[in-house]
Amino acid sequence: MALTEDRVARWSRQLIVPGFGEAAQERLQAARVRVVGADGVSSAALVALVQAGVGRLWLDDPEAVGPADRAGWLFPPASVGSDRAAAARAALAPLSAYVSVDAYPTGGVPDATLVCAPSAAQAMAAAEAARRARIPHVVVEVDGDGGAVISVPPGAPCYACARSAAGGGRPPAAGVAALASLAAVELVQLVATPEVVGAGRRIELVRGMTSVRPTVRLAGCACAEAPAQG
Amino acid sequence: MPLSAKSALVIGAGGLGGPALLTLAAAGVGRLVLVENDAVDTSNLNRQPLFKEADVGERKARVAAARLAALFPSVVVEPRDERFDAGNAVELIRGVDVVLDGSDNFATKFLASDAALRAGRPLVHGGVLRTTAQLLTISPAGLGGCLRCLFEAPPPPGSVPSCADAGILGPVASFAGGLMAAEALRLLAGERGAYEGRLFTYEARTARGRLVLVRKRQGCAACAGTQPLGGTASASACEVTAGRSGELA
Amino acid sequence: MTAPVARLDLRAYACPLTWVKTRIALERLPVGGRLELWLREGEPVESVPRSAEEDGHRVLSVEAIPGEPPGAYRVLVEKGAAPAAALP
Repeated sequence: MALTEDRVARWSRQLIVPGFGEAAQERLQAARVRVVGADGVSSAALVALVQAGVGRLWLDDPEAVGPADRAGWLFPPASVGSDRAAAARAALAPLSAYVSVDAYPTGGVPDATLVCAPSAAQAMAAAEAARRARIPHVVVEVDGDGGAVISVPPGAPCYACARSAAGGGRPPAAGVAALASLAAVELVQLVATPEVVGAGRRIELVRGMTSVRPTVRLAGCACAEAPAQG
Repeated sequence: MPLSAKSALVIGAGGLGGPALLTLAAAGVGRLVLVENDAVDTSNLNRQPLFKEADVGERKARVAAARLAALFPSVVVEPRDERFDAGNAVELIRGVDVVLDGSDNFATKFLASDAALRAGRPLVHGGVLRTTAQLLTISPAGLGGCLRCLFEAPPPPGSVPSCADAGILGPVASFAGGLMAAEALRLLAGERGAYEGRLFTYEARTARGRLVLVRKRQGCAACAGTQPLGGTASASACEVTAGRSGELA
Repeated sequence: MTAPVARLDLRAYACPLTWVKTRIALERLPVGGRLELWLREGEPVESVPRSAEEDGHRVLSVEAIPGEPPGAYRVLVEKGAAPAAALP
């Protein structure tokens, strides 16, 4: 398989990034990515994933557009009250002819998951489903205009091991787009160039500064075991 | 003063300026001036969030302003489809509270740094090269240095850099633009900037952030107010303007 | 002495597409495979060989193309075993 001429032109600027290339771009193009939470917080990540060349986005969000979503990049005033996944899809699809954006088909098996869930319980559940399916996933923990991004390649310490011990952070504030974009950076690398990310890691973003540390498995966590077959 | 009474100038509406403009508008900054004199190219669409497939060939300033107005009708957006140059730089900057530089070449970046000092406004400088994002805030009142304290001068036009320097992993630009906007919001709120006098770089492969102190360099003409505006460099044939420590939008 | 396995006429392109296409062609070659590039004088022939070397490939020769109008160059590149694309 080779990228067609129009696709080469489209992604020319990232096809020349050392460590990236045609094979990496094709992996992105072939990927089905489930995004849990298609709201104002994840909107910057959704745009970045579509533009970077993810082939298929599955938006998993049963809610309606609320006033808070207006702080994102996707929801015009008239969209408030409408179906969130549909509104996000309407804004995302015109960005790229090379991506299909759809509501998450129940039971669909993605190749990677971005978890930007509105509650800790939902984040845990979505991350656990991804771990059991042995697919790479990235979890976003919002804390004001910062927070953390946790990258979980297959086999790495799970999100339950790596999540914030402090519990829920502050509600999202203006500027959270940077955190969402950082999550997109991690997800794109996990899908396109997994060798780059290697092990699991947790990246904190606090007042515009990042710090990273490898994730560590908690003693006795079930993620140490090989997943049950069948 | 509320954010709705504040204003920002964003140089470039592309990979850095686009995310920055969207974030500032979403935050409720009252007036956004954007300077951009390019047209949308298909190679922009891996990273420039204000533009869609159907916009290829259209003027970026017009498309960007229309997109921002549709999403955030309460924000006043002023598109300026012109070059940011020594003739208009100081005047444009004097009209706003903060400047965000999302330009894609060294000449403009040095000009923005010089002109912001001249006009007495804080400048958030952003850059992205391959998988690295770069931020620096230049504050006229602060102790931190400017772009010329860091590099002295743009690289000469003849020093054609490697073409690989034009590479940008799309989402890294979005990250850098988002950080620029968050920094500008801190400055507009009267807080100290996170990158004042500190060059922050983030390398996406290793996920490592790095801080380098940037002090005022003794004898820096720009800080002393004696520097003629802008550098002598012009963009090379492939728009690539990165030197050893380059940055691109 | 192996013959070039691929030839790429990039005289119609400017940077960075010259390098984009070169890099993709190299990615498709086996290690040790050779690529013959036709490039315009000036920026393309100055920067593409340098980018190839930075990426870990060998530039075997750069010469004017006989029989073609002046201003065109033939660059022979051999794919490196450990391109700089491999990560630290």
